[in-house]
Amino acid sequence: MRYLASVLSCLLTVVCSCAPVGAQALRGGPLPMLAEQTAYEPVPGRSPTARAFLLGIGRTNQLDTYLSPMEYTGTEVSFLMQSERMTKLAKRHISFQSTFQGVFTSADNPAETATYTGGRLAYDAGWHYNYSPFSNFNLKGGALIGTDLGFLYNDRNGNNPAQGRFSADVSLSAGADYSYRLGHLPMQLHYQADLPMIGLMFCPEFGESYYEISQNGVGHDIVCAHPGNALSLRQMLMMDFCLKRITLRVGYLCDIRQSNARDLKYHDVSHSFMFGIVRHFQMMKRK
Amino acid sequence: MKRLLIIITALFALLTSCQKSDYEFDETPQGNLDALWTLIDQRYCFLSYKEEQLGFKWAELHAKYSEKLNPKMSRVQLFEVLCQMLSELKDGHVNISTSLDLGRNWSWKEDYPENLDTELRNQYLGTDYHIGSGLKYTILPDNVAYVVYESFSDAIGEGNLSDMIAYLRLCNGMILDIRGNGGGELTNAEKLSQRFTNENVLVGYMCHKTGKGHDDFSELQGEYIKPSENIRWQKPVVLLVNRSCYSAANTFVRNMKEMPLVTVMGDQTGGGSGLPFMSELPIGWSVRFSASPYFDARKQHIEFGIEPDVFVSLDETLAAEGKDSMIEAARQLINNK
Repeated sequence: MRYLASVLSCLLTVVCSCAPVGAQALRGGPLPMLAEQTAYEPVPGRSPTARAFLLGIGRTNQLDTYLSPMEYTGTEVSFLMQSERMTKLAKRHISFQSTFQGVFTSADNPAETATYTGGRLAYDAGWHYNYSPFSNFNLKGGALIGTDLGFLYNDRNGNNPAQGRFSADVSLSAGADYSYRLGHLPMQLHYQADLPMIGLMFCPEFGESYYEISQNGVGHDIVCAHPGNALSLRQMLMMDFCLKRITLRVGYLCDIRQSNARDLKYHDVSHSFMFGIVRHFQMMKRK
Repeated sequence: MKRLLIIITALFALLTSCQKSDYEFDETPQGNLDALWTLIDQRYCFLSYKEEQLGFKWAELHAKYSEKLNPKMSRVQLFEVLCQMLSELKDGHVNISTSLDLGRNWSWKEDYPENLDTELRNQYLGTDYHIGSGLKYTILPDNVAYVVYESFSDAIGEGNLSDMIAYLRLCNGMILDIRGNGGGELTNAEKLSQRFTNENVLVGYMCHKTGKGHDDFSELQGEYIKPSENIRWQKPVVLLVNRSCYSAANTFVRNMKEMPLVTVMGDQTGGGSGLPFMSELPIGWSVRFSASPYFDARKQHIEFGIEPDVFVSLDETLAAEGKDSMIEAARQLINNK
């Protein structure tokens, strides 16, 4: 109970520091400066968490043949919150990562006579095994469990105006981190690709109406998703750098979501420029 | 390191591998006709039935209407050719919607007598009739309830229905006049039907397309009307219909035909038993088409309408005297029961 009380009294302290950028920071344990300056010390065995909050803007290309056979193109704005920390597993080689992503899109058909408005929330979490062949280079591979909920609304379709999106899947995930210095500026490159391998997704039948879906329930419209019918891929190439005491992250996010099931095709391909900050958290306890 | 770069490059190459639509048609007149023809070919739910009933071959219509195209034709001319092609289907749920016009085939009502005089109908309603959302009702001098429902797009609440039935409960019977009702929300049709049965009634079947083939359909699924948990009508009902009863109104007539106390009177309904979907053409025009067919309780098509139990038409001579022969026939039928 005392331990619980001490844990509850811990503070999540935000450190916007240049020094802990990179794989070293991810593994790197305590933040001595902070600990010495205050009456707190890091919780033993608890690694720092790197948490990125990014905003993005980009282009999207959308196809949903339940709504229209035409490809719509337009703008996407998004946010992405990703946190990552090393765990005690496998001699501190395994990291835990969670990502929460929100996307809002607006896209027009080629003739610009109709508009799609879309939204999507996605969350995934999982573990990576980390391997560092060099001191400044880290490779990682693992698996993520995720879920995705969204919609696409066509402002002109009176009878079938919207399509719902739902999926839950297990993805393979791989990436690399490379730390280097540009002059005196410490920088780090991150790359990660997530490839859904198996899961479930909502997909109505070819000509199934809302009325039938509402009468029958959505249970029979949940189908197995795999790379053969839903080859999707999310790739991120990010660069971290420090500006004074703030760690900034800029990069490119390519998100390809697609499916081809029950004679209905869907894709949502987006390319976004992402920018934001990275914060490093350390769970502390009173000395 | 090289291997890693190759893997990353290969993953990025997947960017260009996203799947394409099946409708890769250009914006030329031929491209638009091809897109429309393919859309109907793959998604229209009555193609085999219409080919059999109307005697055309959809495959042949592509060449027939392609001959009418030329690359320099105007948008108006293209619109006319595409509408002509769709008119072969004789389906009120099939439209091309543009800023120019609404392409349509309304032969289901335009080729037949209207059998409705709204001024006459208003005389029966009088001026002190009740309005319960989309329902207008009154009690005729011979103690027969007279209810008019002009569109299933007009929402009706359970409270509206309960209040109406409570108000009319001492009448000898009810004339439910849906002449001119061109449809709307199926849920309104279902909600109203539930007031006329005391047990679950099988009223028909429905299915939907499961693929691009003309006959790729799901299994027929029975549709049942459950009795309302609120006050229900227990006396004779005459449902007045005409050729303008279409879509959800047609489905409502199908439902009511299975109710024991209901007599359907008037002309054949207009039909329209396909639940519509919308799509579009490369030129940006919106296209509506029937996507999921409805059937009656005997698994028969009702796309071309439902015959009434009693055929009655509007008598022009009586109309000149201020009498609606269809309403009068309905009153007589109720009073003789």
